[in-house]
Amino acid sequence: MAEPALMLNGVKAGYAGRIVLQSADLAVGKSELTAIIGPNGHGKSTLLKVISGIVRVSAGEISLAGTRIDGLRPDQIVEKGVIHVPQGDLLFSGLTIHENLLMGAYRTREARSIAERLERVFSLLPKLKDRRNQVAGTLSGGERRMCGIGRGLMAGGDLLMLDEPSLGLAPIVIDQIYEVIFDLRRAGLTILIVEENAQRIMDEADRIHLLDNGRFAWSGEGSELMARPEIIEAYLGA
Amino acid sequence: MDVIIQIIASGLTLGAMYAVATIGLSLVYGSLNMLNMAHGALLTLGGYICYATITHLGLHPALALIAAALVCAFAGLIIYVFATLPLLRAENFETNIFIATIGIGAIIENLMLKSFGPYPIPQPLGISGQVVIGNVHIPVQNILILVTALILMAAVAFLLQKTRAGRAIRATAMHREAGQLVGVRVGQVYAQVLALSGALAAVSGVMISSIATLTPVMGGDPMLKAFIVCVVAGLGNVYGAVVAAIALGVLEAATQYVFGVRWSFATLLLIVILVLIWRPYGLFGRQQVVRL
Repeated sequence: MAEPALMLNGVKAGYAGRIVLQSADLAVGKSELTAIIGPNGHGKSTLLKVISGIVRVSAGEISLAGTRIDGLRPDQIVEKGVIHVPQGDLLFSGLTIHENLLMGAYRTREARSIAERLERVFSLLPKLKDRRNQVAGTLSGGERRMCGIGRGLMAGGDLLMLDEPSLGLAPIVIDQIYEVIFDLRRAGLTILIVEENAQRIMDEADRIHLLDNGRFAWSGEGSELMARPEIIEAYLGA
Repeated sequence: MDVIIQIIASGLTLGAMYAVATIGLSLVYGSLNMLNMAHGALLTLGGYICYATITHLGLHPALALIAAALVCAFAGLIIYVFATLPLLRAENFETNIFIATIGIGAIIENLMLKSFGPYPIPQPLGISGQVVIGNVHIPVQNILILVTALILMAAVAFLLQKTRAGRAIRATAMHREAGQLVGVRVGQVYAQVLALSGALAAVSGVMISSIATLTPVMGGDPMLKAFIVCVVAGLGNVYGAVVAAIALGVLEAATQYVFGVRWSFATLLLIVILVLIWRPYGLFGRQQVVRL
């Protein structure tokens, strides 16, 4: 595995006294595509929320490129280069696409840097450029997902975390979204992706981790997972 | 014709004062889901600070207005630090902050009572003279209030629409968690909103006391009307609040002329009831106001 960009050691976390992540250990290699798979309600989204500081760690450590980030506020974690594109996109529905993208670069003050990132997002996701003045609340599911990813990219971070990017989209739109994700990976961005549909990610992911009941039950490469259909059947029912 | 000019002139002045009083209230509700019951007391505080800095410190009226705005902005920050912040971390925020701000309002009003006494005091900030249109005499003071309110509303609109801070305020109001995920420090945004609301309340208090008088309970009536405007517009809708404030101001002036002063407040309440029956979330409101 490449030099770790992100490390989790014995991380426990949950909501209102209920522990969801039991003891999570994870290493995400730099410039790699790491996938978290697992059944619904077993802590995948919580894992991303813990890394981005939305949910507090109750035990364990998280470090980004060797620097501990657990205990920092979400805005400080964004500042360190962690981008979290949440499930359901959470766009600012009353703002235009352009304003949403500008909000993605909220921590950046240099106008030139913002303009460069905007150009990059528009070249990667040209549909956003065409509809830049459209209010986000009126977008289709696929456009919303693209806007969410574009907003994340505007932060200019080093680690992109995507929570279920294919959720609720038509197959053709899912292909378009994954094309963009794989392009980003080829460009050297470190990506941590949560995906319920294991088949979608098996071929491309450098490492796959199966999260079950708040613990990692299996870890390996995509090819290894393909050779273990019993794991997919037992945990994912496919 | 003269009657219509008179009604429009009085209505616009009333509406402008209501709008300035309402913007802060609406901003705070839109951002935090917080009904700030101390808003009326902040109006009162602003009026008295302006009075005290002119009469006791000899400040220029414009500087006194700025001083009042700064003091009330600071009071807004105090409310954030000592009431909003601790209660945001607990459950039932909306109910708890509602009660807490009633207490804060009572403290401010009693401080004013203790410091300045219970009797009405004229606000020294004022301009004499009249402008005559047809047979209607419009006080210059009213025109000044209208112009000041328009400048303030334009400034708030510019802040919200065109600046990075304003975009963060609007975005965080739409989705708190999404705001955090793009790096907005939401606590800072809440503090800014409460400070801005305090400053607007101060200006509103100065305006209202300049055509009425200063008393420790002077904020109660405008706050009630500001709530009415908020409800009619749709809680948390700042631009709707401005439109509703102007419309209700003109309507109040017309009611006062046609039916008499005693019916104006009853008419406002009747309109609220009708609006809530017709559109339960207000004229410009949406079914869901996103909680930060």
